[in-house]
Formats: sequence, structure tokens, C-alpha cells
Amino acid sequence: MSVLTKILVVDDDPVVSKSFDRVLANKGYAVISASNGEEALSKLKNEHYDLVFTDIKMPGISGLEVAEQVKASQPWLPVVIVTGYGSDAYEARAAAAGVSEFLRKPLSPEMIEASTAHALSQRVMTATVAESVEMAAPQIAAASVEQSAEAPAKGSTIKNIALFLAAPFIGLAYIVAMPFVGLGMLAWFGYKAVMKRA
Amino acid sequence: MNQMHKLYVHPLPVRIWHWTNAISFILMILTGVQIRYIGMVNLMSFKMAVDLHNLVGFVLIANFFLWFGFYLFSDKIKVYHPELSPMKHFRDSFRQMMFYGYGIFRGQPNPHHVSVYHKFNPMQSMTYQIIMLLLVPIQFYTGVLLWDVEMFETGVNLFGGVRVVDTVHVLLFIFFSAFIFIHPYLASLGHTPTAHFKAMFTGYEEIEDEPAGH
Repeated sequence: MSVLTKILVVDDDPVVSKSFDRVLANKGYAVISASNGEEALSKLKNEHYDLVFTDIKMPGISGLEVAEQVKASQPWLPVVIVTGYGSDAYEARAAAAGVSEFLRKPLSPEMIEASTAHALSQRVMTATVAESVEMAAPQIAAASVEQSAEAPAKGSTIKNIALFLAAPFIGLAYIVAMPFVGLGMLAWFGYKAVMKRA
Repeated sequence: MNQMHKLYVHPLPVRIWHWTNAISFILMILTGVQIRYIGMVNLMSFKMAVDLHNLVGFVLIANFFLWFGFYLFSDKIKVYHPELSPMKHFRDSFRQMMFYGYGIFRGQPNPHHVSVYHKFNPMQSMTYQIIMLLLVPIQFYTGVLLWDVEMFETGVNLFGGVRVVDTVHVLLFIFFSAFIFIHPYLASLGHTPTAHFKAMFTGYEEIEDEPAGH
């Protein structure tokens, strides 16, 4: 296992990865950069990393998709989203993918350090459990990592299926209610317009 | 125009299901018209129309279970989750209706932003939930009953008799026939007329970036 903590910074702007390198290299981290999503996914497939920072908007695969693919294949690997444009939709999608943090640019050195420490502490907690079991029996370790990754999903599986099966009935209720809601809205806007004139 | 980026929205099983469904539905509609309206349409012999209708019907049922299984056992199940907040649902639905009725002709941006788990706008989402999890299974059920009314006599009687089963099957057939025309029209309303069609082959939707910088 590598002694250096490897951090992958994914951003099409080389200045950003240089900033991360400047801040984190002094702290003993190895910062590796990728200029787009495809390169990042390829690196993640072939090498071991401890943390990923990714921008959202890049040519080709977006950072959110990188995050989703990383969390799908390596759920234990922390991913931090870094963006200058944070919409609620992006944040919601990032949260759904299970990212550790959603940072907004511009980043100060303190923010980079704090975010790294925070994300790695999550990584260390997962890794410590996995590695201690790994030393005893590699097969059991693999199973436990898989299980810990699946554990939160198990509770939500039933909820997911229940929502899936309830969806058409909720949809029907919305369809039935829609004309009344529409008429109510028209009446409300009409009332407001009349009141404004008066 | 803003920069575009690609998003993998349609996984392979969904694309296989979609195109198998599309071809099968067209075949079902053509043979169905010939079977239901004898003498008005003569695309093939009556027997061949019935045999083809039955065969393609079972292909569609098998295909449905491919779709059902994929969504049931993957995290993409969220795509078909309902919006539980009525306020949000109606607000977003009316925004979408305003866009289709007015905004689209004024070049305004689509209020819905596609993501992996929210690929449908609120109107689409509600429609597909009802179609895929209610109307399609009812159409399959009534179709199987009509396939062999003697064997499924109990089921037919429980449904209210052959006439009721037939009426439901034909009404849904009319609905799906209308859908086959509306669906490609709505699919042509992407950033280019063919964008959504291409996406259903490649799996990648082209998404317009938000106006602000990085």
C-alpha cells in the first residue's frame, strides 16, 4: 500500500490544480491532476487514490457524473465537488451521489486544507475498519466493505420500491387535482389583479 | 449559446427496452387496427395479423419485465419516484406547461434541467409513472385475457365480461396510438430536433451548461 496520501484534482483550469498542489504538497500529500472527466475516470480505474476534488463544468463528462461514477464503483472514496456555480439542483444531485462536500470557488488555502482533512477523516474511518479485518482474512474484509457500502442502501431499498409502486397512484391523484389547482391559481391571480386596480 | 456537456442518462438496458418497445408498439397498433376494424385496413391476412399481434404482445410483456427488473434492482429506480410535495409538483408542472405553451416559442430556456436521477420533467415523470406502472400492465392483462378467453374465463368474468375487457383494451390502444404520435414530437424539442433521438442511441444527453462561469 502506498504511504503517500494521493489526491486527484479534476479541473480543466490548470491554475486550480496548481493551487491545490501548492497548498497540499507542503502537508505531505501527493496531488495528481486530471484536466477532464474522462482522464480522471481512467486514472481512478488504474491507480489508487484517497480523495478526489472535482470541478463540475468541464468539456466532456461533467464533474457530477465523475462523482456519480466514482461513488458507484468505489463508495468508500471521498469526493468533494468544487465549483464557482452552485445551483440547488447541482447540490441536490451531488448529495444524491453521496459526495462528502460541496465547495464554492474561490477557495482559500484554509478551505482546501480543512476540506481535505475532513474528507480524509471519513476515508480513514472506513479504511481502518476494512484494513484491520483485511489483516485477519482478506475475503472477510472484502465482504465487510461490500456490506458496509450496501448497508445504508438496504433500509432505503424498501422505501425506493414502495415509492416506485405508489408513483402511478400519486400521479393519478395529481392529475385529478390539477384542474382544480389551475382554476384556483387563476382565481387567485384574478383576485390579485382586481385588488391591484382597485 | 452556452457550452454543452454530455451526461449518461439512458443506460443500455433502457435503450434496448425503449427501441424494442417502439418497434413492437407500432406492430401492435398496425395489427390491432386490422383485427379491430375488419375490412377497413388490409395490411396482411387476418390470421397473420392475429398471430403477429399475439407474438409481439408476448415480446412486449417480456420486454416490460426487462424494464421493470432494471429499475427495481438499480439505483435508477429514483427516476420513477413521485414528487411527494404537491406544492413543488404543481409549481414545476405549471412552469413546464408555460414553457411548452408559450416560452418555447419565445426561445426561453427549458425550466427542467436533466440529471441522471431526474431525467423527466414533472409532467413527463407523472405521465410515465402512470403509463408504465398502471396503463401498460392493464393493457397486457386485458390482452392476455383476450388471447384466450376460454382459458382465462374466470379472469374475464372478474373484469366484467368480454365486452368490458375488450373496451378497456381498445381505449388503451387508442391512447397508446396517440402517444406514438405525441412522443416523437415532444422528443424533437431538444436543443436540436434530433438531440433526444441521438441520446436514445448513445445513452448521452447533451446538456446546456448554466450561464455562469466555473
